[in-house]
Amino acid sequence: MTPLISLQNIVKQYRTQKALAGVSLDIPPGITGLLGPNGAGKSTLIKLLLGLVSYSAGTGTVLGHSIGQAGRKIRSSVGYMPEDDCYIAGMSGVEVVQFSACLSGLPEVEALRRSHEILDFCGMRQERYRTIETYSTGMRQKIKFAAAIVHDPELLILDEPTSGLDPEERESLLNRIALLHREAGKSVLISTHILPDVQAICTDVVILSKGRVVLQDTLANLNRTTSPSVSFRVLGDHTSIMDQLAHQKLEPRLQPDQSILVESEQPNLATAIWTAASETGSVIRSLIPAKNSLEDIFLQTVQESHRADS
Amino acid sequence: MPIHDVGYRGWDGKKTSPLTRWKIITYTGIRLALRSRWVARILFLAWLPVMYWGVGFFFIENSLKNDSTGLVSTVSEAALGKEIASNAGLTGGSRKNVARIVRRQYKMIPNVEVIATALESDDEIKTRNTVWGWLLMTFFRYPQGMLILFMVGSIAPALVAQDIRSRAFLLYFSRPIGRLEYMIGKLLVPTAFITMVTLVPAIALYFFAIMMSPDISVFWITWDIPLRILASTVVLVIPVASISIMLSSLTQESRFANFAWFAVWAMGHGAWVAILFSVAVGKRSPPFNPIVTNDPVSLRWSSLSLYNNLGDVQAWIFGFESFGQIYVSALVLAGVTIFSLLVLYHRISAPIRV
Repeated sequence: MTPLISLQNIVKQYRTQKALAGVSLDIPPGITGLLGPNGAGKSTLIKLLLGLVSYSAGTGTVLGHSIGQAGRKIRSSVGYMPEDDCYIAGMSGVEVVQFSACLSGLPEVEALRRSHEILDFCGMRQERYRTIETYSTGMRQKIKFAAAIVHDPELLILDEPTSGLDPEERESLLNRIALLHREAGKSVLISTHILPDVQAICTDVVILSKGRVVLQDTLANLNRTTSPSVSFRVLGDHTSIMDQLAHQKLEPRLQPDQSILVESEQPNLATAIWTAASETGSVIRSLIPAKNSLEDIFLQTVQESHRADS
Repeated sequence: MPIHDVGYRGWDGKKTSPLTRWKIITYTGIRLALRSRWVARILFLAWLPVMYWGVGFFFIENSLKNDSTGLVSTVSEAALGKEIASNAGLTGGSRKNVARIVRRQYKMIPNVEVIATALESDDEIKTRNTVWGWLLMTFFRYPQGMLILFMVGSIAPALVAQDIRSRAFLLYFSRPIGRLEYMIGKLLVPTAFITMVTLVPAIALYFFAIMMSPDISVFWITWDIPLRILASTVVLVIPVASISIMLSSLTQESRFANFAWFAVWAMGHGAWVAILFSVAVGKRSPPFNPIVTNDPVSLRWSSLSLYNNLGDVQAWIFGFESFGQIYVSALVLAGVTIFSLLVLYHRISAPIRV
C-alpha cells in the first residue's frame, strides 16, 4: 500500500532546540492517531507536513508531493483543523466556512452552497448565521471541522479535534470522522492527547517523543497481548472467585475498572474461569479476550524513550 | 436533521486560479469594513468637498468664458446681494477679478501665485490646465487628505491585528495561500477605500469640469489630468496602505495600531511645525505661515512630515514643482514604504515560524 505520508530522517532545528530529531515514518491510508507528550514535536510535524515550516535535513512526501517544494499542492489537497481557535472577527459561521472554501479554490457561489451542505453534515443549524465570536467552544470546533473538509480534501489533519467537546458532541464528531473514512475514503491524521478517541476510531498509531518516532504500528497489533489472557467481570463480590482462581495458580489481577484479568498459557482458560464461577456461585457478567490498554502502551513507550535519553 | 441534509458528498468542480486568491482576502476585508457605520459616514463625507470644489470649477469656467452668459454675476448677486458680490469682485466676471479673489482668499495655499498669474494670462488652454490641476491638487491635499486619515484609521488597524489576535493566520496559511498573497490581499483593502475617497470623487470632479466647459474639445486639451489624478492616487495609496497595514501587524490590539496610525501623522507634522515655530520665535519674526513660507528652515525640515511629503510629490505630479524640489520627499516616501513592507512581511511570517 502506497503511504500517504512518507518521511525519511526529517530534522527540524529551532536555533538551539531540535524539534524533530530524525523522524522517519510511513503513514498508510486510514485513520492514524499521532500521540505524544507536550513538546514531543507533533505541532511542528503537522506544520512541516503542510509545508508551512522548512526543515533542516531529510526528505518527505505528502500525497506524493514533496513537503519542501510543493507546499501549495499539499495544502490544496489537505484539510487542516488547528487546535487553537482561529476565526475572522465579525464573520458568521457560514461566512468563515465559505471563506475557507474560496481560499481553497472553490468559486464563490459554489463555496456558499457547499458550506451549507457541510454545515448540515456537521450538525450546525440556524446558529451558522451568528457571528463566530458568540459561539461556544463546541460550535467553534464544528466550524473548524467544517472549514477543514469543505473543499473535499483527500487527507484530513486534525489537531485535538475533540478538545472542549461534551461527551455527546465528542461521539458525534468521532462518528463523522469515521464516516468520512468509511464512506468517502478520506484518510485522517489525528493529533490528540485523548487516548480513548484514538482507541475508538484509529487504525494506526504513531507515538512521538522528544522529536523522534518511538512507536508506530497498527492499533490491532498494539492491542494484542503477549500471552493469552482473559478479562471478566462478576456480579457482586469477586473475592471468592479470585481465591478459587489463585488456588488453581492462575494469578488473577483486579484492574482499576473492577474487571479481573487472568494471564496464562493454559489452553482452556475460559473453561477454567467458568468452572471456578460455578464452584463459588459467582455470576459472570462479561468475559472477553483481554487487550493491551493504549494508555499503558503510551506511558510505557514514552517512559522507555525518556530512560533511553537519560 | 435539516431537510436538505445530504450527508457528506465529494466535490470535483473546477477550482479558481491560484493567482487570484488574494482577491478573496481583499473582498472579504472590504465587505467587513463596509459593515462599520463610521466607514459609511466617511464615504458619504468624501462627497461633500466635491460640491465645494465643483463651485470652484464653475466659477473658473465662467471666468474663462469672461462670463459671457453673466452666470457668475447673476448667481453671485442672487446668493450674496449686489453690494457684497460687487465688493467681493464677483461681478464683472473678468479673470482678473477671480485672480484677485484667489490671491486674497487663498494666500495660505501653496502655489497660489502660480494660479493667480495663470488666471491673468490670456492663454486659455494654459490657464485651464493650470487651474484645474491646482484645484484637483488642493482637493487631494486638504479635504481628502484629512478624510483618508480617518478612513484608513477606521479600517486598517484591525486588518492584521485581528488576525493575530484570533489566530486567523492558521485559517489562511493552511490553505494554498502564500504570505505575499496575504499581504497583497490586505494592502488592497485600504487601497480600495482610499480610491473611493480620492480617485472616484476627483474623476467625478473632472467630468463635472468638462461639463462646465464651453465644449467637449476641452477633454482633448486636459487629457493628462485624469492620468495625473491616477498617479496622485497611486502615490497616496502605496505609502499610506503600507504604513497602516504594517502598524496593524505590530500588535494584536487594533486600538494600539489605531493610536500609532494617528501618532505617525500627527507627530511628524507636529515636529515640523514646532521647529518652524521655534525658529520664528528666535528670529522674532511676525506670525508665520508654515505652509507658504519658502524659508530654508521650513524646506529643510518639511520631510519630517509625511503629510508634507505626500503633498510635495502630488504637487510635482500636477506640475507645480520640479522633481529637483521634491526628490527628498519622494525618497522619504519610498524609504518608509519599503521599510513598512519589509516589517510587514517579517511580522506575517512570525506566527507560523514557531
